[in-house]
Amino acid sequence: MADTAAFTLPGSSIAGQARAERARRYAATLAATRKPSGGGWLMVAPLVVGLVVFAVYPLAYLIVLSFSESSLGRPLTEWVGFDNFAYALSGRFGDTLWRTVFFAVPLSLIQVALGVLVALLFNSAVRSGSLVRALILLPLMTPPVMVGVAWKLILNPTGGLVNGMLMSLGLTADPVSFLGTSPWAMLSIGLADTWQWTPFVAILAFAALQAIPEDVYEAARLDGATPVQIFVKVILPMLAPALAAIFLLRLIMAFKLFDLVYVLTSGGPGFDTNLSTYMIWETLFRDFDVGAASAQTLLFAITVGVVTLPVTWLHKQAEALNG
Amino acid sequence: MADLALADSTASPADRLAVYKAQLAGQRATDARKWPLYLAYGAVIVFFVLPLAYLLSVSFKTPDDVLSGRFLPTEPTLANWPAAFGATDLDGFILNSVIASLSSAALTMAIAVPATYAMVRLNTGGRFLPTFTLATYMAPPVVALIPLFFLLRYAGLLHSLPGLIVVYGLMNVPVAFWLLTSFVRALPREIDEAAWIDGAGTWTTLWRIVVPLIAPGLAASFIICAVLAYNEFLFAFFFTTEPSRTLTIGIALFQGERLVNFGQMAAASVAGLVPVYVVAVLAQRWLVSGLVSGGVK
Repeated sequence: MADTAAFTLPGSSIAGQARAERARRYAATLAATRKPSGGGWLMVAPLVVGLVVFAVYPLAYLIVLSFSESSLGRPLTEWVGFDNFAYALSGRFGDTLWRTVFFAVPLSLIQVALGVLVALLFNSAVRSGSLVRALILLPLMTPPVMVGVAWKLILNPTGGLVNGMLMSLGLTADPVSFLGTSPWAMLSIGLADTWQWTPFVAILAFAALQAIPEDVYEAARLDGATPVQIFVKVILPMLAPALAAIFLLRLIMAFKLFDLVYVLTSGGPGFDTNLSTYMIWETLFRDFDVGAASAQTLLFAITVGVVTLPVTWLHKQAEALNG
Repeated sequence: MADLALADSTASPADRLAVYKAQLAGQRATDARKWPLYLAYGAVIVFFVLPLAYLLSVSFKTPDDVLSGRFLPTEPTLANWPAAFGATDLDGFILNSVIASLSSAALTMAIAVPATYAMVRLNTGGRFLPTFTLATYMAPPVVALIPLFFLLRYAGLLHSLPGLIVVYGLMNVPVAFWLLTSFVRALPREIDEAAWIDGAGTWTTLWRIVVPLIAPGLAASFIICAVLAYNEFLFAFFFTTEPSRTLTIGIALFQGERLVNFGQMAAASVAGLVPVYVVAVLAQRWLVSGLVSGGVK
């Protein structure tokens, strides 16, 4: 419609406009009649195959495996009913589910809050320096394994940067084993993950901030609102749908966390940082018990669903609110 | 900028200079009031750069120096770098990772580009297929781990790079779809319709009209998928072994050894970071626009 308006000259007659409208409608009908049909399914066929291989088949096979006694070498040796589920829930796996939820949800909330703060800082302090943009991209481009290595070097009791500083300042006599004592170990994993993903949140939140027109700030300022009031009462509600989307994304990613636990703590000290993904890995790789690992995986997937679905709903609400 | 516009061209040079000086003073006053902001800004930058800088610094430290806990090496050494490449098959790991990430990203795009076009423009699959595609991303990858292990072994692709490439290629399809959707949606529908009127079929329209127009979006999606594949750990752990092992696994096993040489480990990590960081710096504009268009709608 916008382009037909461009073709009508200023001051052209009503008849001319009607002619242009007819021409536009004719073009649309023509396009509709010539619209190629049937090619669509061929175009999505590889995707459908991919989804079957990567999502449908794994879920179906996992359900079958979870009712069986299986090892990596010999799957489906014997049907065992709900034994695997009973075993998974009676042992420590239940604890890891709670731990994962109570780790992932606050972590994502903190990262979204910090990311918004960083974005606000960018919004008021710089004019999109490309150096800063490149620097802020680095953490999220870093493989989590390397993030783990870098933070391990920083937090190590012997020769770690943090302990070196604490001891030279005389704050502690003996080095603190951050990765070997609770609650430091879990907090360290959270810190490394926050380092990696806060820039990601900041980039997205910054873009959402930039999309808010300048007049909004001006109108609020004219009404005598303070900067804090402007942020809480005007900007935050406008950011809500974007923030809900970012939170959902971060939550999904936080549930997948595995590499940092592997590199930083191996689930220790004791069992304190053993998240569900790590325990499933242990069941597979140390016990070679595929049946139990399948049951654990299904229970974990259900937990993730139960926690994320309300967030998805919340996101829809936030979107509807802003129309 | 505004200062120059305000300085009236009819005023004498001296007046213009005075006005300019007054404006500069005002500018400095606001700059001075902003110093807590700049301080916070500096702290943020330091926080995000410090771990990487320390990693780089440790890679130049001698084994004794590593234990000092100081930021900079006291007597910098280059010995860790050749040692890291000698201790493990580091260049082989990096090469495997680069091959796996580039090939899998190409596969992802080959699947996702036509599918995204069909779903967005031709409404193929209705509302179900796009929702289902995105929903599969919500499931943790550990769900696919065991079944894919058996499937790859059955297909004879277990512990091989082609097997890993297929897995990564499929793994990133939802991400690519999610990123590409907004780029395809942003194109005016009239462009497609014009092509159809001229008698172009769907594939011709996609290949000759749509693909060139969303090239920046394609580049961003390709890079993001390649980086995700390069950084992946869980699948690589199960689906590769010595000759096909990727970098993340090499580093993880390196650091798991009983006698860890921190200097060598840091050197190996930095060497492995070079490929992604080069891409990050060269393609930052596309990357940011790609991330942003997908994440905030």
